[in-house]
Amino acid sequence: MNHREWNESTLVMLLAGGQGERLYPLTKRRAKPAVPFAGLYRIVDFTLSNCLNSGLRRVFVLTQHKSLSLDRHLRVAWSILQPDMGEFIQSVPPQLSLVSRWYAGTADAVFQNLDLLEEERARYTLIVSGDHIYRMDYREMLQFHADRDADLTVACTEVSVDEATRMGVIQVDGEAHIRGFAEKPTHPATLPNRAGRCLASMGVYVFKTEALVRSLIADAKSESTHDFGHDVIPSMLSSARRLCAFDVIERLPPTQRYWQDVGTLDSYFETNMDLLGANPPFNLFDPGWAVRTHIGHPPPALLRNADGYEARAVNCIVSPGCMLSGAQVFNSVLSPGVQIDAGATIESCILMPNVRVGAGATLRRSIVDENVVIPPGMQLGCDVDADRSRYTVTKSGVVVVGEGTLLGGSSW
Amino acid sequence: MARILIVDDEAHQRLLYRELLEDEGHLVLEAADGAMALEIVRRETPDLVILDINMPGPDGLQTLRRLHDLNPRLAVILNSAYAAYKDQFVSWLADAYVTKSSRTDDMIATVHAVLAQRGNNRVAQSGRPHA
Repeated sequence: MNHREWNESTLVMLLAGGQGERLYPLTKRRAKPAVPFAGLYRIVDFTLSNCLNSGLRRVFVLTQHKSLSLDRHLRVAWSILQPDMGEFIQSVPPQLSLVSRWYAGTADAVFQNLDLLEEERARYTLIVSGDHIYRMDYREMLQFHADRDADLTVACTEVSVDEATRMGVIQVDGEAHIRGFAEKPTHPATLPNRAGRCLASMGVYVFKTEALVRSLIADAKSESTHDFGHDVIPSMLSSARRLCAFDVIERLPPTQRYWQDVGTLDSYFETNMDLLGANPPFNLFDPGWAVRTHIGHPPPALLRNADGYEARAVNCIVSPGCMLSGAQVFNSVLSPGVQIDAGATIESCILMPNVRVGAGATLRRSIVDENVVIPPGMQLGCDVDADRSRYTVTKSGVVVVGEGTLLGGSSW
Repeated sequence: MARILIVDDEAHQRLLYRELLEDEGHLVLEAADGAMALEIVRRETPDLVILDINMPGPDGLQTLRRLHDLNPRLAVILNSAYAAYKDQFVSWLADAYVTKSSRTDDMIATVHAVLAQRGNNRVAQSGRPHA
């Protein structure tokens, strides 16, 4: 099929309704997909850019918890398609048209939007999540799905056994048919020829729409947590449905093999840091794969010496609108509008939009959320035990300061 | 014996099904519209609902949504003179779809099949309906 035909035959449902509890406090006031990422972007921009770069322009974004910030971003950054030409990126809050409650799980979110599936009547439905960072041309997967006449195709990638215990683990035969599926197993099945490695679901699904509807209705009428991984896929596997696995390592070029779930603070931090190395696994600079966003119209970034201190930024993402006045910044991600004053040192940090860091402050391995003001001379991430009594500190010792936190001397 | 609710705005259609189902030994309840059907389902907890589609007020498909909301596992047979509703996804919420005709064998056979399926599900305690 060509570009236009894939678009006409495919509807995308982007799941963006989760509470994002494991990303708290970054999700204190916003949905997970709306959390800033890599300086300029929001997490959801990566999946939406995948859609756009794959020529898929019929996208419903299913929102729920704390969706205002996400809605605002979708309206400002993603009102780029032509609804009168049958293309759209449409934010959809729960309609309560089938049941009078909020979404109970990922499958329930799609089930409750049966009317959208009816309205579009696409041959295929692509289900994606708004909290993953990856690059993928979905057309490769759609072609694979169509060639095998599958009812469901699950995109998967290789992970360690440890990671696999937190994911959906897939067993396949020699022809890529799924023969086993276990959600978050205690003892994951490993790959036959790859000791210590497992094949795990990326939460990207292509369904024949009619098979999807049948499976969702069966799930809705059963005792279930109404989750694709927990319920729908195992149930389809035990019926006569044809399920296939699309292994991205085997079937996509190296540029499309990186995939990260940024659902925890540690993975969010590490995935940001991944972008700063000499050969980042996700290339933001590829003109053939633009990642879209919207950041308004900030002035350029400015690094200037001040008060006898030199301004430096090494291995950093420095967004427009940042002003480093005699500050030293290493291995960090600075969002638009960050201001750092003379003598301050920032190492391995993520500073979100409009964070201000006062003169002489020292920040290490910290995430500081939007608009937080760090007073002059303050230390963060230098004594993690002390920080633990005041802020969120992750398992790996990253200090997280949430939006709206007032710090000592913030009247500065 | 099962408790079966017939929902149809046509009194003669309800009477026809009542006689057939009572002959089969079932207890029959009747509702002339969707609102009344919901009230009876709340009060009487029938085992099966036979649901017409074209009715004044909330139609059968709208009523089917509300029934699903009340009890996702309630057995429902949609019953319409029009076969075309069968293609609508929401109609797939029902366990079966019978097109109205002068022959009533289809309806009786479907009632048996749906009740048997529900009985099997209860025995198996799977709770999973027929896809």
